[in-house]
Amino acid sequence: MYKSWGWSNVRERKEEDEERGEKEWGEDTAVISPQDPTLLIGSSLQATCSVHGDTPGATAEGLYWTLNGRRLPPELSRMLNASTMALALANLNGSRQQSGDNLVCHARDGSILAGSCLYVGLPPEKPFNISCWSRNMKDLTCRWTPGTHGETFLHTNYSLKYKLRWYGQDNTCEEYHTVGPHSCHIPKDLALFTPYEIWVEATNRLGSARSDVLTLDILDVVTTDPPPDVHVSRVGGLEDQLSVRWVSPPALKDFLFQAKYQIRYRVEDSVDWKVVDDVSNQTSCRLAGLKPGTVYFVQVRCNPFGIYGSKKAGIWSEWSHPTAASTPRSERPGPGGGACEPRGGEPSSGPVRRELKQFLGWLKKHAYCSNLSFRLYDQWRAWMQKSHKTRNQVLPDKL
Amino acid sequence: MDLRAGDSWGMLACLCTVLWQLPAVPALNRTGDPGPGPSIQKTYDLTRYLEHQLRSLAGTYLNYLGPPFNEPDFNPPRLGVETLPKATVNLEVWRSLNDKLRLTQNYEAYSHLLCYLRGLNRQAATAELRRSLAHFCTSLQGLLGSIAGVMAALGYPLPQPLPGTEPTWAPGPAHSDFLQKMDDFWLLKELQTWLWRSAKDFNRLKKKMQPPATAVTLHLEARGF
Repeated sequence: MYKSWGWSNVRERKEEDEERGEKEWGEDTAVISPQDPTLLIGSSLQATCSVHGDTPGATAEGLYWTLNGRRLPPELSRMLNASTMALALANLNGSRQQSGDNLVCHARDGSILAGSCLYVGLPPEKPFNISCWSRNMKDLTCRWTPGTHGETFLHTNYSLKYKLRWYGQDNTCEEYHTVGPHSCHIPKDLALFTPYEIWVEATNRLGSARSDVLTLDILDVVTTDPPPDVHVSRVGGLEDQLSVRWVSPPALKDFLFQAKYQIRYRVEDSVDWKVVDDVSNQTSCRLAGLKPGTVYFVQVRCNPFGIYGSKKAGIWSEWSHPTAASTPRSERPGPGGGACEPRGGEPSSGPVRRELKQFLGWLKKHAYCSNLSFRLYDQWRAWMQKSHKTRNQVLPDKL
Repeated sequence: MDLRAGDSWGMLACLCTVLWQLPAVPALNRTGDPGPGPSIQKTYDLTRYLEHQLRSLAGTYLNYLGPPFNEPDFNPPRLGVETLPKATVNLEVWRSLNDKLRLTQNYEAYSHLLCYLRGLNRQAATAELRRSLAHFCTSLQGLLGSIAGVMAALGYPLPQPLPGTEPTWAPGPAHSDFLQKMDDFWLLKELQTWLWRSAKDFNRLKKKMQPPATAVTLHLEARGF
């Protein structure tokens, strides 16, 4: 009678139905008690399936139970009376799906008489690790970590709440899942100069839990957009340098703050980034010590430091889109010139030049963006290359 | 559709004859308005696409409801689903539907089904499932628009919902979660059946709307080919 059928066999199924005639079902047939209970993991459940007396021949005889489609062993059930079959479940596991375990009472012929959804789980644990940031002081986005237990068996609802410290009214965040499953975005109406109190409430059928309160001032958690218009270009013919230029993020230009920047760069095929730290309030930088004839990817990010006179750092922006540029190829020495390494190819330097090189090398390492030393170094390098070609060993006058 | 051998021969013979006869036939108006043909084709294509989309959505949703709902031989009683528009219809009745009625039934069915789908407010469903449902509703809305387009092209009025008869499949307060799951199950099933049927409906309409050359073919057929 109950042929196996998939979605494609619906038509045959329909014809069967019409032959049989529609069955009456519902409160007239049977009822399971309790209906849709909520239980703690490990607890027990006593359930009953009561057949209504109206239907001729209605008896609890031959009834059986299934839980999530699996027939339960007969020793767990017993007939309480002629029309009621009881079930005893012990030590319940967490629900198989968040929509509830399906406990079904079947007639002898397998037809479904009644059903009840069991919700078995744990109350939620305290969410923790709330972190928030404000983009250009216009909004606030917060993220948190859920407590570990009870989250998977029952559906847990998270609610991010916030209020101004001395103003008493609780507000609820409404835009969830903006940056991942446990996040919320407050798009507007944020006040400055007064701290906010922020917390997360986790609720499920078995109870609720509240995180610790995070107090923060919007001005302390400001981030901004990555610097736009990042350009990377060669420095004349210098084969180991690239010049990076960018624009300060426009969104914060009306606010009093000092931007800090960070630059990172890597060789095309590598995954290791080199970071240039501590680039303060300038919009260009020269990278040196690079490999000639190599493609580099460069990114810049910004930190709105000291907004409105605060002494604190803000939050780093995202990195700008990678910009690529390549260093010029190294010039090969003339025929019979020896090794092809551009530096190694230099004729053996006198001690003064060696010292100078070391000095400038040190300067370069410790002050990437110091323009003064670079000007000097540039001149020296350019001169070195020229003199290398003509094999001239004389030092420039300026030195 | 299975063509019997006789039909194939007949059609082939007719086609050849038509090609011969064409110069003698008064010039057919091939340029200008293509008629409702393309939009019927589009509607047909949409039903196939939705059928495919539903298979995936239903699979996920039924897994969310949990066994036995997602088992292939699941056969629950049909409780309280009388308000669902039924796709099942007697074959002769279906065949004899006139175009207007055929289109109207489709339009009304999907209006109701869309409404119920939107109300499928499973609080506990995952965000991903809610997104899939929303996406499907949008596609279904597209199908409704497409059917409306065909009806307009053929000059049929769109069925207007009578005030007060808005489909409300709102369960009573005593409606248990398990019964709700059954309602969801039957909604998806009926939707599947309707899409299956609509493909046949629009295929039939498509054939009826063939360009006038067909009329010539049929006329020749009558001469004993």
